Amino acid sequence: MREKLKHIFAHALINLIRAGWGGLASIATIGMLFLIIGIFLLMVLQLNALVAKWREQFHLSVFLEDRITQTQLEILEKRIQNEAAVKSIAFTSKQEALANFRRELKGQESLLEGLGDDPLPASFQLKIREGYHSPDVLKRLSAFLSRLEGVEDIQYGQEWIERISNAAQIMKALGIIIGLILTLGSVLIVSNTIRLAVYARAGEIEIMRLVGATKAYIRAPFLVEGMLQGSLGALLALGVLFVAYRYVAGTFKLASPLFSTAAQQGFLEPSMMAALVGGGALIGAIGSSLSVSRFLKM
Amino acid sequence: MIQMYHVYKTYGKDLEALVDVSLHIQKGEFVFLAGSSGAGKSTLLRLIFRDELPTSGQILVNGRNLVRMKQRAVPHLRRMLGIVFQDFKLLRDRTVEDNLALVARVVGLPGPEGRRRVAQLLKLVGLSHKGKMPPYKLSGGEQQRVAIARALMNDPLILLADEPTGNLDLELAVDVTRLLLEVNSRGTTVLVATHDLKLAEEAGRRTVFLKKGRIVEEWP
Repeated sequence: MREKLKHIFAHALINLIRAGWGGLASIATIGMLFLIIGIFLLMVLQLNALVAKWREQFHLSVFLEDRITQTQLEILEKRIQNEAAVKSIAFTSKQEALANFRRELKGQESLLEGLGDDPLPASFQLKIREGYHSPDVLKRLSAFLSRLEGVEDIQYGQEWIERISNAAQIMKALGIIIGLILTLGSVLIVSNTIRLAVYARAGEIEIMRLVGATKAYIRAPFLVEGMLQGSLGALLALGVLFVAYRYVAGTFKLASPLFSTAAQQGFLEPSMMAALVGGGALIGAIGSSLSVSRFLKM
Repeated sequence: MIQMYHVYKTYGKDLEALVDVSLHIQKGEFVFLAGSSGAGKSTLLRLIFRDELPTSGQILVNGRNLVRMKQRAVPHLRRMLGIVFQDFKLLRDRTVEDNLALVARVVGLPGPEGRRRVAQLLKLVGLSHKGKMPPYKLSGGEQQRVAIARALMNDPLILLADEPTGNLDLELAVDVTRLLLEVNSRGTTVLVATHDLKLAEEAGRRTVFLKKGRIVEEWP
């Protein structure tokens, strides 16, 4: 068993080194494939993280008329609570609203001077249940709420979230399509490199078959060579992506507080990186099998 | 050891390589398969190591039916056989020893045992001193002896040789034939295809004559 493994890996490595530029071309092509897949993956993950965070923070504000009575307020609160879409409700009085605003304007409180005592309306903050976040549902809900007595205005920023969520979906689809095309290309390139390796060892393969080597025995080193090319390509891509990401994420952090979530999102998770390297190995294995099988049939 | 019953082999529609060949070779026998080129000698050998299947007829090797044998089982059949070719088929990019060691690996002989066997066989063919040389630096006769040593690496029941002396001058051809006879004297069944009638005659062993794919005569 150990002898066999030694034979397999020794020959895979020897072949890879002998493949020279061809081998490097294979690795680089797979690297390119995984770089592009990685970029799309990162973008989709970042956008999803952004969407998730915004969704979590998201609330629908129901601003109340100034002349609302305490009784009206209580009735209104009950009405709203009974809505299926409403997960929780919190009340902000005029005073609290002003205090919050002051906090947000910290250092620039002078802006508030001249606005009078109570420039801000009281409001309810509604958290919306999962599954009720679609624009249609929210539009209907807000139309309903705005008709209730004592309600001045409704505000929510859901459309932005949906747009970004859609962008993430499109990015994902685009990534899958480009990924598939490049995967096919990579398989062909590996297959070609391995084909050259197989022909270079045609004499040895013939002898091995004549003395009773099984197909699996002949195939194994080439399979490993293909898998090495694939996984090395994927590793190369992850390395490049990691360096680029560190650089870009750092820049974003400085440039915009909006993207602070993105920067915190971090690099690809270890399981994803493992999946990418595994995917590379798989592509290499498929490319290699194509060539060796064709040769062994002759 | 080898039994062929009414074997036909036809390529395409009308190229008859073998016609109604029935042949029985006993364990431990030494048999020459004689005939001019194109008589069907190589085809017959290829059928025995199941490089090809007969168009019709049955072939048994060591009790195994080659026609019914699954592709998966072919490697096991080949491990019972040693095969030698006219053009030696030695690998140029490695030494004589490594050419032999390749077989040791394929048949699963572990390192030290494999090396011992390589040394043994190089001694048998009288080339112990040339183990570290690449094959192309050896003479034709020496290369064929290396090829025979390689064919013996897996300790085969049957040695098949296709024109083993075809590329050699007379003196070396006699040498190689002597080596094949020695291999046979150790118990291996040997089947040698040759167009050199004189060689077969001098060896004085059973000789089967093929002509246009048919067995036409047999000595003794």
